[in-house]
Amino acid sequence: MLSLGIESTAHTFSCAIVEKKGRQVKILSDVRKIYRPPEGEGIHPREASRHHAENSPQVLSECLKEASVTISDLDLISYAAGPGLGPCLRIGAVVARSLASYYDIPIYPVNHALGHIELGKMLTGAKDPLVLLVSGGHTMILAFLSKKWRVFGETLDITLGQLLDQIGRYSGFASPCGPRIEELASKSTEYISLPYVVKGNDVSFSGLLSATKRVIPKGIESACFSLQETAFSMIGEATERALSFTGKKELLVVGGVAANKRLSNILSSICERHNCKFFVAPKEYAGDCGSQISWIGLLESSKKPGLDLKDTFVKQSWRLDTVEVLY
Amino acid sequence: MNLVQKGAEADIYVTTWNGRNSILKIRKKKDYRIHSLDTRIRTLRTIREAKMISETKSFGITTPLVYFVDEKKCEIYLQLIKGKLVRDLPLNKIIKTCKEIGKIVGTLHKNGVMHGDLTTSNFILSKQGLVMLDFGLSQKTDKIDDYAIDLRLFKEVLNSAHAQIVDDAWISFIQGYEKILGTVLTEKILSQVSVIEKRGRYANVV
Repeated sequence: MLSLGIESTAHTFSCAIVEKKGRQVKILSDVRKIYRPPEGEGIHPREASRHHAENSPQVLSECLKEASVTISDLDLISYAAGPGLGPCLRIGAVVARSLASYYDIPIYPVNHALGHIELGKMLTGAKDPLVLLVSGGHTMILAFLSKKWRVFGETLDITLGQLLDQIGRYSGFASPCGPRIEELASKSTEYISLPYVVKGNDVSFSGLLSATKRVIPKGIESACFSLQETAFSMIGEATERALSFTGKKELLVVGGVAANKRLSNILSSICERHNCKFFVAPKEYAGDCGSQISWIGLLESSKKPGLDLKDTFVKQSWRLDTVEVLY
Repeated sequence: MNLVQKGAEADIYVTTWNGRNSILKIRKKKDYRIHSLDTRIRTLRTIREAKMISETKSFGITTPLVYFVDEKKCEIYLQLIKGKLVRDLPLNKIIKTCKEIGKIVGTLHKNGVMHGDLTTSNFILSKQGLVMLDFGLSQKTDKIDDYAIDLRLFKEVLNSAHAQIVDDAWISFIQGYEKILGTVLTEKILSQVSVIEKRGRYANVV
């Protein structure tokens, strides 16, 4: 089975081909083009979608070439139908629909967040993990129970990725700002007290965002250090609570912020304390990519036929815990 | 001294205090947290828990007795309660118990206290009735929003950990809650719960 996955929920336009032969799964290609806003600015949905539209032919042909596959070889096409930015989602959907209708290939709209989780599980070999999904769009603690991924904890306002990006942009860095903040934080050990808000298994970052902005004049390095320490400790505690409540023996971290070393550090020390295996999505597949979408397409195609073109939707607000998982 | 549970918040031991069987709750140092932040959190929560456990008794809520508090070491010696965590009860029993939980939470809110960590593992069903635990995240508050956060958390726990019975358990909880707080206030808090749910990422917004 050959599957093409198209990702276009936010700043990344990506096409990937994943092959499944029996139990063997292989990513044949995963090509990405990332929209970069000017320094100090965030994603402009219209500009990002223009970027995606302009780059889609090139990304698609590179992806096919790298995998040595032609379009007519494909058994299915899947695209990220949400959650995400409307104008961006529509580009991916249009590319998927065009190919599906012209070449008569089954088409599958898939949930972006599910892609992060399932690809992470597949690549790390985690069986029944508690999942921490941390990215620009999500901050959620999840576990699988009777056909759905259930939310055990989440952010009550902005996400961890947004928190880092907003501080970065405020300081004039280029998005995504996580790596730059991590680098600056590593140069300081001076902790400035910042608000720490954990409510049960949930966290809230908005107060921390405002407070961090106020301490930036004291030095950007110590501000970044204190921001990371506070935010990651909050996530750590919420995760630890969910871990001890669910009794899961595996923790899987996925999403763009999973690439942060300090966060991994904190989480692996928590896992050690609770005798729990720790998995992190490999760095090159932690952020948004077509492989995630392509893999869900393969999983779904094992249980149901593709959709009629008229039913192929995009949905900006599509919560993961509303998706019924059949496989 | 026997370690019975390695919780997220603290380690729980069974021991004795002046000849009485007792639970020792230690909020251990967490190496992953920066020292000053860690000390601040552990001390604050230890003191808060000890205070609230005692104070809520005056509202008629059953909580363990506090024998001794060491705020330097972040330790609390508590009365040992024998029984079963509500989380581990059979499903139909959980549904029934949720009504009692509702009454307890209602009483707490009526007296201006939010619990902050309402889960089914923070209640023990014992011979002396339902006992409420873990007040480390509790807070005195008169805000409707805070009470709603308590309710939403409990709903989230039912929805995630007890998905098979979430609807019945939630109805049962609200029945108990309403008995204490009355229909008007309950409606008000429940509508705030939906406001909070709408704040959730990618919740259905019109």
